[in-house]
Formats: sequence, structure tokens, C-alpha cells
Amino acid sequence: MRNPTLKAASAALLALAALAACGRDATPEAAPAQNAPGQSAAPATLLVWAMGTDGDNLPKLTSKFEAENPGYKVEVTSIPWQDAAAKFRTAQAGGVTPDIAQVGTTLMGGITDAFQEVPAGTDTSVYFQGPLKSAQVGAQTVGVPWVVDTRVLYYRTDLAKKAGFDGPPKTWDELKAMAKGMQEKAGAKWGIRMSTTPDQELQNSLAFPWSNGGQIVSADGAKWTLNDPAVVDGVKFYQSLFTEKIADPAPDSGAGAAESAFVSGDLGILVAGPGESTALDEAGGDGFKDKYALATFPVQKSGTSFAGGSDLVVFKASKNGPAAWKFVEWLSKPEVQVEWYKISGALPAVQSAWQDPALSGDPRLGVFGEQLKDTNSPPPNATWLQVADVLGQQMEQVVKNGKDPAAALGEAQAAADSIGTGS
Amino acid sequence: MTRRSIVYLGLVVAVVATLLPFIWMLLGSFKTQGEILRNPSGFWPQAPTAGNYATWFTELHLGQFFLNSVVVAAVTVVGNLLFCSMVGYALAKFEFRGKRFIFTLVMITLMVPGVVTFVPLFVLVAKLGLTNTYTALILPFLTSPLGVFMMRQFIADIPDALLEAARIDGAGELRIFARIVLPLCGPPLATLGILTFLGSWNNFLWPLVAAQTQDMYTLPVALSLYSTGQIATQYGLLLAGSVLVIAPIVLVFVFLQRYFTQGIATVGVR
Repeated sequence: MRNPTLKAASAALLALAALAACGRDATPEAAPAQNAPGQSAAPATLLVWAMGTDGDNLPKLTSKFEAENPGYKVEVTSIPWQDAAAKFRTAQAGGVTPDIAQVGTTLMGGITDAFQEVPAGTDTSVYFQGPLKSAQVGAQTVGVPWVVDTRVLYYRTDLAKKAGFDGPPKTWDELKAMAKGMQEKAGAKWGIRMSTTPDQELQNSLAFPWSNGGQIVSADGAKWTLNDPAVVDGVKFYQSLFTEKIADPAPDSGAGAAESAFVSGDLGILVAGPGESTALDEAGGDGFKDKYALATFPVQKSGTSFAGGSDLVVFKASKNGPAAWKFVEWLSKPEVQVEWYKISGALPAVQSAWQDPALSGDPRLGVFGEQLKDTNSPPPNATWLQVADVLGQQMEQVVKNGKDPAAALGEAQAAADSIGTGS
Repeated sequence: MTRRSIVYLGLVVAVVATLLPFIWMLLGSFKTQGEILRNPSGFWPQAPTAGNYATWFTELHLGQFFLNSVVVAAVTVVGNLLFCSMVGYALAKFEFRGKRFIFTLVMITLMVPGVVTFVPLFVLVAKLGLTNTYTALILPFLTSPLGVFMMRQFIADIPDALLEAARIDGAGELRIFARIVLPLCGPPLATLGILTFLGSWNNFLWPLVAAQTQDMYTLPVALSLYSTGQIATQYGLLLAGSVLVIAPIVLVFVFLQRYFTQGIATVGVR
């Protein structure tokens, strides 16, 4: 039995090695970048991968593009958000990528080497700059924001009044005072809610180091700066929300838990994105609309929030580079962005689109428009997901075990240094 | 008498505990998003609506996804039943060079976790130009090491005398396989069939990656696509979709349950 087993094992290993070798071969060679400015794009059939239900709505726009640009055809496939990263990476490995894809900003990390750089001469200043960072690796821009999303404060105006506040908190101190007042004078169990589940943690907590003037990566993208003093002080304030029992270190993360606590008055302040209004109005029923308001992040050195949303990218393996960028540019036109907002409800990434009455006429949206001027994204470095993992673990210790932020971030920095930035 | 009633009471509690989530799912599928998220959330739907189901059938073309799932699952099951029992028969009853080697290879494949081979497998399928075809969805799962192992173990216990007798009577090998071996393999075939069906029916990641356009998506992929967004989840839609996905499994299990338990038991003791 002995010999055959060994033989079999080595044969199996050989087979695996052969397959693995296949995997490396399959990484598409960098296609010649045929995206010089002014070069006319030959009409082509473009394959687009869009995320979730956006993919079902997108054909309503593409038909207009096809009408304006004879000869072009756009075929859209919807990709589920669940395991989208696996989908992109395997497609890249197998060399079966589409021409264009919508990629969630948090999914950009680690796959940016599959994307073409934006054509020379592209004006990236038209986009909100925070979300744009999710597509910038060092000096390279490998995609453009399409739709954006960010978090703002939702606060109970009635509870705030009892706590002595007629308007939103303007500074960190006011935020704390308002949250405390809601607990002491208005009967709220918790002042503010911070999601502390591993996948949400950083999206909330990074706002504080950023607002304190801290950055987690150096400007040239070459080095992580997790233990920068400004970052440490920001995290210290974030930690104080938990140590002073203003925020629950382990809030119920079940479906609708945040909404129901907010509706019942157990919770005074929520940190959430634009979809939250709908969820709150549904959970609160008639008349609840008047009991809360939205506000931008309170200002320390700035009032910076986490930028989310989706970027548009063109794959290196695409044979229709110029045509693909033409479509991306068309989608970035302000009037097309407004049109897409009307179809999908997703917020435009192009700043001038916000002057359209469809957006400027809505006071709640105005808060998001204001907040979007001050947002930030983690860098989409190839190693960001690993660093995020390390940082997330340390933040968990800071929130739940009361670990000293300086020590936690020092350890995270040491680990991040050994991981590197991948550039 | 009292002991018996205690046992039954325990069983009733266990059954209720097992069924309650399914019943909640069924009831929830008739609620609106707002009603599901309301606190306190009621058990019975206050304003029952078939809207979630209507959305699945009218707007979201459930039929196409259902058809894909059925085709993939059916071919996969038939392939497994046929090929696993054939290989199992050969490994159990024939003597040939390299038999042990092949069996060891099967065992090794059984031990390699799927995640390890996932990307290489996809690259292979992509290189063969098979992405976005039924072939891509089916071929990698057409036979399974577990199935081969299970069938070999069961067939090894069929008396050789039975096969010798058939051979003396002049039956060819295919005839022996079809007329003697297969009919004796009812329980393990049923078990293998159910396991394969469940595996294929519930598989999410492979069809997600292998299908390149929506019309090739299977039910679990479609369910995820339409119910789970980046931020919000459409719970009503998710629950209604889950009911529709689970219904065939429940039916299969109800009809084959007898063989299923039998099969597990017989293979288990060997």
C-alpha cells in the first residue's frame, strides 16, 4: 500500500501544480493602452457588469447612448453584491473580464491592477474628490466615481430639544454633549449608535481620525501612517464614546434593529447613508418624518465622512478601450447623472449634477450634497484588505476591551509595515 | 405510558423548534418590507400580500432561473448516479493494474477542499472557452469522489457469487451492471441522488462565477442579486424567493426520505 500511496500523492501534487501554473498564465497581459486623447473610438459592442439591481435599470440609459452613437451596442449583466469580489478576481484570472464594470468602492482594493488608467486629459476635478480617492493608487487613477454614497448623522430632533439643542451638533464636544443629554434628559438608552461589526467598523470609525486631520496612508501612497498622532487622537475620541457609555460597544446588528431603537426613542443619533430615510419612514410610520433631521458630521479640524458608492472601470484586457471610455465619459455627463438619479435613486458623483432642481430641491439630499464635499476613502492598494483586517482587529480591542489607542495603532502600524502598500 | 408521553412531548418540542423558522419564513414572505422591520414584529401577517411572489414571477423572470437550476441539477444528478456507480463498480469488483492507485487518487481528491481547486477549476473552464454555458455549470460536478467512494463501499459487499452466476449464464459486463448491480444499489443511489441534488440546487459561488450573463444564472444567484443590495436587503423578496427555492427540496425529501435515512445507515456501518 505504501508505494502506491506515495505515487498517488505525488501525482496529485503534480496535477495541482499544473493547475496552479495555469492560473498564473491566465493573468491577462497588459493590453496596449489605446486611449490617447482625441483618438476616435471605433464603434463596438461593449459588455458591462453592473452591481445588483443597477444592472436591471441600466438598459434604460444605454438605449439612449446607443441612439446618440450609432453603431454602438451596450450589453449589461447584473452582478450580485454578494461575493462580487470573488467574481471579479476569478474573471481576471480566467481572462474573461467584460469591457466595463461598476465596482463598489470598498471592492476596489486588490484588483486595481486589472483596470486601465483613465485616458490622458480626463478632467477628474468634476467628481467629488473623496470618492475619487477610491480609484487612485498612488499617482494613478484607474477608474472614475459613478454614483456616491456617504454617511451623515440622523438625530431625533425631539430628544435633542429636551437635551437643550435646537439644531445639529457642530463640533465633537457638542456631539458628545447632545448624545449625553439625550440619555440623561430625554430617556434614551444610548446616545449614538456606531456599528461595531467587523465589516462596518472601519466605515464608521475612520471618520474620526480623518476629521482630526489624520491620514492612514502617506500622500504618495508608499507608506501606511496608522499611528500618526492625529489618527491616534481621533481614535481616542471615538473610544471615549464607548468608555463614557454614550455608545453601545456591541449594538444589536440584526435587521432593522437600529431603525426600531431610533423609532422607539432608545437611541438618539444614527450614522447612516441616504437609504436610511426610507427605512426609518417605513419603520416609524406616519408622522415620524417630523421627529428627526439629518446633519453633516461635526467638525473637529474637518467634518470628514466615509465615502462609498461605485466606480466605473475599464479592464486592461478589453479590446474596446477607447469605445469603453467614451461610454464612461457619457455616463459622467451631468445631465446623464441626473437622469440616472431619477431612475435609480443613486446619488450623482459629478458635482455639477447637484445643481439640478431634482437634487437641490430636497433638503435632506442637500445634507448629503454638503457632506460629499468632505469625504475620504481608504486607498485601493493591493494590500488594503489585509491592512484593514489588522486595523479592524485592533479597533475591536480599542472599542470592546478599552485598549490604549496609541498602543493598538502602534501594533497595527508594525503589522501594516510588514505587509507593505503593494506599490 | 408516562415515559412514552414524555418522549413524545420532547419530540413535539423538537419538531416545533425545527419548523418554526420555516413557518416564519413562509409567513414573512406574505409581509411587506415595513411590516417585517416593524418593532415589535408580529408573527402573523397583518395585511397579507402576494406582492413579493408577484414580483418574482412578473418582473424578475423567475422562470428562466428556475429552468436553469432544474436543468443543471437534473443532469448533475443523473451523471453522478451513472458515473459514480460505474467507477465504484469497477473499483470494487475488477482487478486491473493501477486500481489501488486510482482509488487512492479518488480518496485524495475527496480530501482536497473545494476552495483550493476553485480558481484553477475556473481558469481551466475559461481556457476551454466554456464559460456561460450549461456545460460550465454542470461538467465540473458530473461525478464526485464522495459518490465514487460511497458506491464502491456498497458494491464491494455484493456477493461475487451473484456476479459469477450471471457471467456463467452468459451476461455481458454492461448487462450485469445494469441488471444485477444497479437494482441492488437502491439505497446508496437515492442517498447520492439527494446529496447531489442539494449540492447542485444550493450551489451559489460556482454558478455566480461561471455564468457571464443573467440568463444563465441559477436560482441562488438570482435570489442574491435581487434581494440583497450593497446596503439594504429586500426581506420580503428574500423570504418569498427562499420559499420558492426550498419548495422543490422539501418535495424531493418528502418522497425520498425513506431511502435517504436507509442509505446513510447502510453505508455508515460499513
